[in-house]
Amino acid sequence: MSRRAYAEAQRAYGRRVAAVFPARYPPEILWAREVVPVEVWDPPAPTGEADAHLPPMVCSVVRRGLGLLLDSQPVDLLLFPHTCDSLQNLSTLLPDLLGERRPCLFFYPPRGADGAAGRAFLLEELRALSRNLDAVLGEPSPGRLREAVRWARERDEALRGLYDARARGELAASGEEFYRMVRRTEYLWPEEAAAELGAFLRERAGSRPAGVPLVLSGVLPAPKDLLSRLDERGLVVAEDDFLGLGRRFPRRAPPLPDDPLEAAAERLLALPPCPTQGAPLSSRVAFLEELVRRSSARAVVFLALKFCEPELFDIPFLAKGLEERGLPALVLETEPGAETPAALLTRLEAFVESLP
Amino acid sequence: MRLVREARFRLMKDLVLPAALKAREGRRRPGKGDPLFGPPLKCGAELKRIMARHYALAKYAKGARPVAYVTSGAPVELLRPLGFYTLYPENHSALCGARKVGERIALHAEARGFSPDLCSYARIDLGHAFSGESPAGDLPAPDLLFCTTNICQTVLYWFKALAHHHRVPLVVLDTPYLHGGQDEGPALRYFRDQMVEVVPRLERIARRDFDESRFLAALESSRRASLLWGKVLETLKARPAPLTIFDAFVHLMPVVSLRGLPVCERYYEGLLAEAEERVRKGVAAVPGERFRLLWDNIAIWFALGSLARLFARAGAVPVAATYTHAWAETVQDLDGKDPFGALSRAYGRIFLNRDLAHRRNLLLTLAREYAVDGVVFHSARSCKPYSIGQYDMRGLLEGELPLRTVVLEADMADGRVWSQAQAETRLEAFFESLER
Repeated sequence: MSRRAYAEAQRAYGRRVAAVFPARYPPEILWAREVVPVEVWDPPAPTGEADAHLPPMVCSVVRRGLGLLLDSQPVDLLLFPHTCDSLQNLSTLLPDLLGERRPCLFFYPPRGADGAAGRAFLLEELRALSRNLDAVLGEPSPGRLREAVRWARERDEALRGLYDARARGELAASGEEFYRMVRRTEYLWPEEAAAELGAFLRERAGSRPAGVPLVLSGVLPAPKDLLSRLDERGLVVAEDDFLGLGRRFPRRAPPLPDDPLEAAAERLLALPPCPTQGAPLSSRVAFLEELVRRSSARAVVFLALKFCEPELFDIPFLAKGLEERGLPALVLETEPGAETPAALLTRLEAFVESLP
Repeated sequence: MRLVREARFRLMKDLVLPAALKAREGRRRPGKGDPLFGPPLKCGAELKRIMARHYALAKYAKGARPVAYVTSGAPVELLRPLGFYTLYPENHSALCGARKVGERIALHAEARGFSPDLCSYARIDLGHAFSGESPAGDLPAPDLLFCTTNICQTVLYWFKALAHHHRVPLVVLDTPYLHGGQDEGPALRYFRDQMVEVVPRLERIARRDFDESRFLAALESSRRASLLWGKVLETLKARPAPLTIFDAFVHLMPVVSLRGLPVCERYYEGLLAEAEERVRKGVAAVPGERFRLLWDNIAIWFALGSLARLFARAGAVPVAATYTHAWAETVQDLDGKDPFGALSRAYGRIFLNRDLAHRRNLLLTLAREYAVDGVVFHSARSCKPYSIGQYDMRGLLEGELPLRTVVLEADMADGRVWSQAQAETRLEAFFESLER
């Protein structure tokens, strides 16, 4: 079932649908109000109309996202987490200049939130988002937010289980199959997502496909056919540091305070280091090194999305930092189109052949 | 050792550099002037002196003063009482762009894997960090990187890379983007609280106590300089305009990089007096002023001279800009009653940190107040927060006011994306449309 079909089915069931842009937000607060967040990362939307509104240096995630919203979609409200300058401007372009009538909500995850001021502001942002949702949808039923916090923890637990099994080499799934499953969490209702992830883990228990294990980093595994091309060549994705995937669930269960909004804050604070949040380069190198170690990967491949400043600024020092630690790294520029360019695959193959 | 360096710094600051710069100026022959323009601003020589001294003195600051690299929108008033010598990488990159060496310096960063798609200011600055190459001479490495995200998120990624390269502390003041219709209170409180939190850390880096009276003095000095700068810009409402926005782009430098220091205030007192005198005497920056224009976005530094001549030939005078206005826009918020709160309001509410509805209103207000006939949108490849939204802003402005608009696709400091011929064709067509 496509995301659109799923969204339509959820609306028919009586839930609302929120189009949610990348990357970090508190899904619990939406679920508690019977809202299904359907994330907008790389929709196969035409960008022609979006091109008329955006200058050329805007990345394809924002361009396709705008293209999608300019097309009619079964969406009741929009949520824009503040992730980068382009998404920031998109969040105001739509309501302020393009006449978007659906409610547009914003969420600002503070940068450097480990200080007292940052923590306090994160909680304030969660309260503000809750109030704004209440204004649009009404308050959630008592206890529903606590339940939604539990769903988020269960989904995270299921993702951790799946990632851990893959890293240990105990998951008999190709890269394409793995990410097809994991990316369903971008729109499935959390109980369904946790159940499907659990079933996948059970059904695919077994040995990792033979090949060269790699860690991938970037925004998403793109282009669309990249994973199957890697599978064909015996290149096994053993871990990932993707903005949309491996960086969006805590790798260790965070504290669970009684207050559900504080629990949502703890979850966000426990997410892996990410450039969109200004994470220091040293913490990112350490995280990548840990992914390599735990998955026995032989190298890290950065899939650099064109025009994505948060990612592109970090990559040169990350690659250098890894190499200084004896971990080979390769940087490939990618676009989320349909087909992986042959030149990219050739570079990747040459890199893998050169691995010690 | 520190005392020796301090003595050397003072000697250079108070005696050697002023004398050397004066002597250099004396050797310079006065230019013939360009008939396209009115008489050059007398303050231009003083500006050159101030900025040359600032950059020349920088190399003697190391060891005598803690050196901070600062983003243009950061509340530098926090650093003044702690004695930091401040350098502005954005300003330096603009200088490299204006001297047409930006691309060459950026190549040092590109060779190390930094994508040519990244902000050119950042690439030039990183290129400078890797190579030491600069038209401003030998600049000291920083002891502190002081970054505020009110102008863009790019500065966060850029300064993080600089901190990693120089192995020095990075202080980030996070300024949430303000959407209209939302309560600004929590965001401004958060910004304020971060500033309060960071003072002890700054004290440790500077090895000096934070002197509140000096802090208040810096705040007051900034307020006065911004007020004076705002008044200078207001003189451009006169017909003919006494200076152009292309002049203002250059004369903006002190309020960006010397804010909170007496030299900055003194400079704008002189500039304002000269601009007012020109208004009284009817001195035109561009004799035969025909069209008045509003500029949106940062200057195209490497093409500033050629664009100024192209505009002047058509009698087109840019008289207002959102960019130059930014350093005067929130000055009313700078008061000493609650200094940290004042800084959070003044720096948190700048237009680049507010939504596009605010930007539209700002453009409309400037267009009306300065009675412009057209708007030039510089779509800067390097600057997403400034450029995304401009395409739609054009239509909205044309729908509300009787004016014409044009978009120039360019960059502020990287000339590789610029086609002079294409820009000339586009601008000539735009000037023709103003005739109708």
